Amino acid sequence: MKINKFAKLGTVVALSSVFLVACGSKSSSTASKQVLNWNESAELPTMDLSTATDVVSFDTLNNTNEGLYRLGKDSKIEPGIATKTQVSNDGMKYTFTLRKNSKWSNGQKVTAKDFVYSWQRTVNPKTSSQYAYLFSGIANADDIMNGKKAVSTLGIKAEGNYKLVVTLDKKLPYFKLLMGFPVFFPQNEKAVKEYGSKYGTASKYMVYNGPFELTKWTGSNLSWTLKKNSDYWDKKNVKLSAINFKVNKSTTTSYNLYQSGKLDETNLSAEQAKQLSNSKQLVTRKGASTFYLQYNQTKKEYQNANIRKAISLVIDRKQFVNKVLGDGSTVAKGLASTGLAKLNGTDFADAASVKSAVATNRAEAKKLWAKGLKELGVTSLDIQLLSDDTDKAKDSTAFVQSQIEENLSGAKVSVSNVPFKTRLARSVSGDFGIVISGWGADFSDPISFLDLFTSDNSQNNGKWKNTEYDKLIEASKTTDAANTTKRWNDLVKAQKILLNDQGISPLYQQATATLVKSKVKGVIYNAAGVNYNFKDTYIAK
Amino acid sequence: MRKYLLKRVFYMVLTLFLVATITFFLMKLMPGTPYSNQEKMTPQQIQIMNEQYGLNKPIWLQYLIYLGGMLHGDLGTSFQYSNQPVSYLISSRIGASAQLGLQAMIFGVVIGIIIGSFAAINRNTWIDTLCTILSIIGKSVPNFVLAVLLQFYIALKLGWFPIADWGGFSYTVLPTIALGVGPLAETARFIRTGMVDVLNSDYIELARAKGLTKFGIVYHHALRNSLIPLVTLIGPYTVALMTGSMVIENIFSIPGIGEQFVKSITTNDYPTIMGVTMLFSAGLVVVILLTDIVYGIIDPRIRLSGNGD
Repeated sequence: MKINKFAKLGTVVALSSVFLVACGSKSSSTASKQVLNWNESAELPTMDLSTATDVVSFDTLNNTNEGLYRLGKDSKIEPGIATKTQVSNDGMKYTFTLRKNSKWSNGQKVTAKDFVYSWQRTVNPKTSSQYAYLFSGIANADDIMNGKKAVSTLGIKAEGNYKLVVTLDKKLPYFKLLMGFPVFFPQNEKAVKEYGSKYGTASKYMVYNGPFELTKWTGSNLSWTLKKNSDYWDKKNVKLSAINFKVNKSTTTSYNLYQSGKLDETNLSAEQAKQLSNSKQLVTRKGASTFYLQYNQTKKEYQNANIRKAISLVIDRKQFVNKVLGDGSTVAKGLASTGLAKLNGTDFADAASVKSAVATNRAEAKKLWAKGLKELGVTSLDIQLLSDDTDKAKDSTAFVQSQIEENLSGAKVSVSNVPFKTRLARSVSGDFGIVISGWGADFSDPISFLDLFTSDNSQNNGKWKNTEYDKLIEASKTTDAANTTKRWNDLVKAQKILLNDQGISPLYQQATATLVKSKVKGVIYNAAGVNYNFKDTYIAK
Repeated sequence: MRKYLLKRVFYMVLTLFLVATITFFLMKLMPGTPYSNQEKMTPQQIQIMNEQYGLNKPIWLQYLIYLGGMLHGDLGTSFQYSNQPVSYLISSRIGASAQLGLQAMIFGVVIGIIIGSFAAINRNTWIDTLCTILSIIGKSVPNFVLAVLLQFYIALKLGWFPIADWGGFSYTVLPTIALGVGPLAETARFIRTGMVDVLNSDYIELARAKGLTKFGIVYHHALRNSLIPLVTLIGPYTVALMTGSMVIENIFSIPGIGEQFVKSITTNDYPTIMGVTMLFSAGLVVVILLTDIVYGIIDPRIRLSGNGD
């Protein structure tokens, strides 16, 4: 995985620089000007962490603010505002001791009350937070979100200024990971009240407690700057003095700017990535999203496992990711993405993979297809294939259509590529035969994917059902929640059931090709949740 | 004249009202919600959100509420940019688009008139052919292709102008050229055709016989008469350019309004869709009125109203 290599390199350089500094050769590896010029492909829509929904907002919040923890390399939990965490024996109560030297940019201290205020604000239905569902599991959160209980009943209490107690109403094995996600960061009540409806709509209408402060953002412009926060508790470890962000929506433009030295990083289109595949500056950022075929199992033909298996077996996924997509995306091993979670060095995606579920075997496919058609009592099948209208989605549907029609006799595929919102609406109402859709993890745990296919999940649009699967997912949340290995095994088994039955047919794991100047070191990229953490980044000579 | 103007203004308001009504109901027919994280929200959560935003009310009521707000100058709050008033989103972005559109229009029309006239005066010579070829190329090469070429050769390779971004005048040069070549080619074609007709007419013969200079004939007599068809074209063209060219704005990373409009539609950002549509429509009806007034100035034979008030 390229990202790992890159991050490892960063760590090695970082370590060696620490060593060299220790040896007294002070300015050996860092450049005198610690300014990073970073490309963004979209605007920054908001800095209100309760209402943010997009990658740019979450990334900016993550670098300008801080919660109980920060997520380091490979989503490792690193110290944030919490200096000590105590978990009760039953795993239902967390007590955090907070540091006393964390400050807001308006001069106030960050206290436990800021967390209480922030969390209550987010789950309050009046705030209309689109990420409030992540609070589900914290005591009373669901009832508050549904308007059945008062926000003050939320399972979070401040005991004095520096002790925070969180109670859960079900076990959340990934609870600590969530704390690294900006929705769980504290908010300064004074600032929220003072700025009112303007809160978070421009850099001056916001306060910061993280490694950087946001400046030069007007709320709708295409550039902004993160300036090192001189009040940050760990400022001695923040090396960059500023990060200049520029929004360039055209990768041609950002690549030109990169070549001219105005940018230190740029996204690449699939075409550019293919041309630059040998570049040493090419860094492929693997996303935590998987794309797959989802079958509408309210229809008789897709209830037939042989039909589903046949369709999956005719798709040559390697050819698809290399020749058609070409942007660094890889063949999906299963539902949960590679690099998401590890146990004893084994990646979940490997542990829970089922080779035949993503393999190509056309002879076998033809047999299964014939068998399936016979079981259905038909000689041909009309397949309605649905997906988005982006270039990538159009390429995907065209490829899948040709693979099915060329290899399965009697199959006729009609394709509809519609705008994302229309695709969602049709998925929800069951107006499709097969839909190519994707799912991205909110945090680095396989459950973020696997929850989706339980029978009672309202977003399980294909309505695939399996009692064994449901039981395993339930066990992972209850009886086995506290036992890492047992829980892991439950989830591994569950994914295998899903894949063996072809409840979905995984296609690819999404990736973004980027170019990063080799002098830029220590960029932390995590696929799930927040992507970028620049706290440790620096510019080498 | 006043009576005529009043009548026209009444029709303008009526047009805008109809545009607002039709857009509102068409927009509500689009599937999906304005929530960007809709995919991960449960139906109950969406229901609660709809209640918060008043989207669960009957559509006719939502329409009346919107209309009431608009009459008070309140265009609502954007969904994509949470808490950001639509009026701010438009006002902070329209400047760049308007400046670029206006510059492109001036550049295109002025150079187009010169090239067109030049071709007409030298009709059926190699100059004419050259001008025709140039305007055909200008019309047929899409502006984004030209933009990418200009950016690569003039900005990156030669370094004469910035590659992208929006700052002083130098930032506007390449996008202006890229955006202005379309109207330039169009203008040159119209002027040439119009002027060739005019130059063949009797009154030009007369002017020549009177011994007027060639420049005097072209400037005073021929050009004015060939401008009329162009005016019809320029009005709507200017509005279209000023309200944003998404592609050019994207290529040169200009903080304009073009993409905002397109994005607002794909994300179901209802208040922004309405705001930008109303802005575009208002611009268009005003320009159509101005065009009619300008007709009268250029050619007194075209009367604005029957009684010549």
